[in-house]
Amino acid sequence: MSSSLEVELERLLKSILDLNEEKALEITENLLTSNVDPLKILEVIKKAAEEIGGRFERGEYFVADLVMAGEILKGISEKVMPKLREVGRSRETVGKLLIGTVEGDIHDIGKNIVVTMAEAVGFEVVDLGVDVPPKKFVEAIKQHNPNIVGLSGLLTLAIDSMKKTVDAIRETGLREKVKIIIGGGRVDQYACEYVGADAWTNDAATGVRIMLKWVREKEGGG
Amino acid sequence: MVKEPIDLWIERHEREPDVVAKEKAERFLKAVELGVPDRVPIAGVAGDFLCQYTGISWYDLSYNLEKIPPAVLKFVHDFPHDWGIIFAPMMLEGFVLALAFPDFPDFSNTIRFLTGPVHDILKDKWSQWPGRELREDVHPQFRGGEFMEPKEYKKLIENPVEFLHCVILPRACPGLGAPGSPQWNGAWVRVGMVMQRILSFQLQLFVEIGKRGYPAFPITNAYTSADVIGDFLRYPTGAMLDMRRYPDDFKAACEALVEPILKVATAIPPIPPLTFFFIPLHLNEMLPPKLYNEFYWPYLKKVIETLVEKGYKGFVFFEGDHLPHVETILELPKGWGVAWFERPRDFIKAWETLKGHTTVMGGVPPSLIVGGTPEKIDEYLKDLLSKVKPEGGFILSPGVNELPKGTPVANVRAYINAGLKHGAY
Ligand code: B12
Repeated sequence: MSSSLEVELERLLKSILDLNEEKALEITENLLTSNVDPLKILEVIKKAAEEIGGRFERGEYFVADLVMAGEILKGISEKVMPKLREVGRSRETVGKLLIGTVEGDIHDIGKNIVVTMAEAVGFEVVDLGVDVPPKKFVEAIKQHNPNIVGLSGLLTLAIDSMKKTVDAIRETGLREKVKIIIGGGRVDQYACEYVGADAWTNDAATGVRIMLKWVREKEGGG
Repeated sequence: MVKEPIDLWIERHEREPDVVAKEKAERFLKAVELGVPDRVPIAGVAGDFLCQYTGISWYDLSYNLEKIPPAVLKFVHDFPHDWGIIFAPMMLEGFVLALAFPDFPDFSNTIRFLTGPVHDILKDKWSQWPGRELREDVHPQFRGGEFMEPKEYKKLIENPVEFLHCVILPRACPGLGAPGSPQWNGAWVRVGMVMQRILSFQLQLFVEIGKRGYPAFPITNAYTSADVIGDFLRYPTGAMLDMRRYPDDFKAACEALVEPILKVATAIPPIPPLTFFFIPLHLNEMLPPKLYNEFYWPYLKKVIETLVEKGYKGFVFFEGDHLPHVETILELPKGWGVAWFERPRDFIKAWETLKGHTTVMGGVPPSLIVGGTPEKIDEYLKDLLSKVKPEGGFILSPGVNELPKGTPVANVRAYINAGLKHGAY
């Protein structure tokens, strides 16, 4: 029985990485109706997300593949989450991430990947969408009390919006409460310093690693 | 002060613009015919850099026609080039408008680009403009959007023009109101009046630019079916997903769009020696070869082949990193036109693959012009030209001609200087 479960989970992973949406959702459905522990499925999502990021970096996946993979993972977790609640299991969340594409910018393919991957490793994610003004970030921090704020942006002008956002967070006295990471194709160390963020990245996997390190440090520290 | 090659070239533009224009035309034609001209043609630059250098704002470039000529004429004087397209005030993708009127050859190409004044009338949701939704000093933005549901592919396939015209336009352009209403009719009359003004403005500007040593070749417009879907109907991400979720519908829609695209393109007849059709590609670099070869390339290829057969030459902007798909270009007839590469992972590889078959344009990373030094630029171009020059059929250009604010003037001059110095055959 357990070995056939392993086989099914392996098939699920393969169908996700083959970007076969129909099959991935079908296997998920079957696993859930045969009362498999939903957490096992979440483990697969996590594994898949890591592999997807790696394939993109190696040039094996293209943007269209990332978008499809993201949709599949979202579809699976939408099926798994209610089941998780139903069986009274809660998933350990490692921290809370508030994320959005900054004002003036609507590029969100990269940001959506980060959301999927962060959720996969156990973050609770609040996604504010695109073209998010600084004020909205500030309000959302007050409302959701996240550990980490992620700012995404691909346009050159997004760097200024990021700076304005960080300034607004500082001005409302919330800066010490959150770690801030910026991401998107054009950010770099220079932009990070200019913006006043704590970290930067051009790839989701590294970003998630940094975020995990932050929440663990905090745990370790107290 | 020692005169640099660019200064001497500027002087020649002033002294004998007709001779310079004739040289440029011959040089360019030679390169397009895969031949060896006297020197590698140098493509011009623009973008934020033009605004900064001339002091004109994006708002004025979009809306204030009378402010455009002084800025543009100063710019082409100070930064001479062999080939450049001045679009202002035609700034953003609007091919969907042409596709809504493919049976009106007298104006389908005129409304192929979105302009600020037309945006004011249509209130289209595809774009945002300086001085309107955006600050006056930022470039107009194409945002696109989702204006069609997957289940509507059937209607698009059945009658693409009617669907675009009667279903998509009212959805995406609140300024039009309902088809047939007074608002709808009045808005189109206004669009006609505005475009008439813009068209005569542009013709006059081209004459002025021409007088200053710049030849012009007629250019018509085409598009890739899949980009019509991604840019104007389903959003790029929607189009990517649809290829996998509704493959048959997607392909049938691409097939159905080919005919109206060709109608728009052929509205301007091919005039010897050279009439280009311009196609910018958008989804290309985002697709893995499997999707590219199945959903993108077949229809693009059909458009290119048909137009080349009718006597046009292609001018295709391969956005992003097109290297994964570059081999497919070899399926086109030799000498079909110009392939302009934005930032292929390895430009030399693209060149090596295509030389002798396709005229290749590009080779200079904009980041080099933005962040390099005149010495580095000279060194880079010298090396590049030593590799790509021998066979002919090459046009020197930055990956995109839009250079950002803060690009040093000395670097742009260094780019032109290096082309003049190291580009001679
Ligand atoms: C797709 C696309 C679009 C689509 C957007 C669709 C969408 N929903 O996102 C559309 C067509 C709408 C579009 C519009 C425009 N675009 Co655009 N677009 C692109 C394109 C081709 C791909 C971007 C992308 O998705 N990359 C793939 C993702 C996965 O990469 P990524 O975002 O970097 O994300 C990764 C990491 O950075 C990281 N990450 C991202 N965010 C975050 C956040 C955090 C917190 C963390 C930890 C990590 C992280 O994780 C991701 C995975 O590893 C790029 C060119 C390119 N190839 O980059 C141009 C590009 C970004 N666009 C550009 C421009 C100019 C525009 C327009 C202004 C064009 C115009 N004149 O109208 C408009 C702007 C609209 C606006 N206001 O934003 C320029 C930007 C130039 C600049 N420096 O400013 C580019 C670079 C193209 C170019 N060479 O000119 N665009």
